[in-house]
Amino acid sequence: MPEPDRGVTDLKAILTLLRDAGVEFILVGGLAATAHGSARLTRDVDIVYARTPENMARLVAALAPHSPYLRGAPPGLPFRWDAETIRRGLNFTLTTSLGSLDLLGEITGGGLYRDLLPESVEVTVFGVTCRCLDLPALIRVKRAAGRPRDLEVIAELEALREERDRRPE
Amino acid sequence: MRPIAEAAGRCQPACAWDMMVPAMARTYDISLDPDPVIEAYKKDVDRTLLRENLKLTVEERFLALMALQRTAEEMQRAGARSRRNRS
Repeated sequence: MPEPDRGVTDLKAILTLLRDAGVEFILVGGLAATAHGSARLTRDVDIVYARTPENMARLVAALAPHSPYLRGAPPGLPFRWDAETIRRGLNFTLTTSLGSLDLLGEITGGGLYRDLLPESVEVTVFGVTCRCLDLPALIRVKRAAGRPRDLEVIAELEALREERDRRPE
Repeated sequence: MRPIAEAAGRCQPACAWDMMVPAMARTYDISLDPDPVIEAYKKDVDRTLLRENLKLTVEERFLALMALQRTAEEMQRAGARSRRNRS
């Protein structure tokens, strides 16, 4: 019997799901880096979501059928996926039946959804138009995070910016 | 913080968060000047891969990422099978 593709994130399904539910979000992290041309492997989808009650309700409804659970947590915890849980928390690293999904209420060096909105660009992928953090902001938040493991990532993003600036439009 | 949280009918971290955010200065003073450590890492970036990626659409980049995820998954399974067979 074939084993499930645990390490493969169904990007099309996740983006379509969020779009169809009307969730306000911005792609950040590794997937945003991929959108800008990064060649690095990333397995999860990181989004910054708007923390309005309406948006949190949309997020809850969208993900509920896809078994969201805290990634790395032992099974059987009394984790309830509802608007109250999101309201009381901020950032959630989840597994879902579609793949790993990180919901971020705020990111270091970038702030909240509304702060990041002016620094996001529209991308259309798999027929879904969504917002993605722009390259300079992505570099800034990675620098602000100050994690040693991000040094190679930042170097690649800065190289991407240089390459992009060199390319004729 | 506890009396405030109890009065608001909320847990303490949630209450602290709500109070903190409006008060938080959202000015991020992050230098984007060249950093010698990052410059050192930049020398090892394979720019040929980046140039090829920049020729692709965003969708093609996402599809390439998913193919890479599948390959990584298969390699991990192969490694696990190999370890099982050895033991």
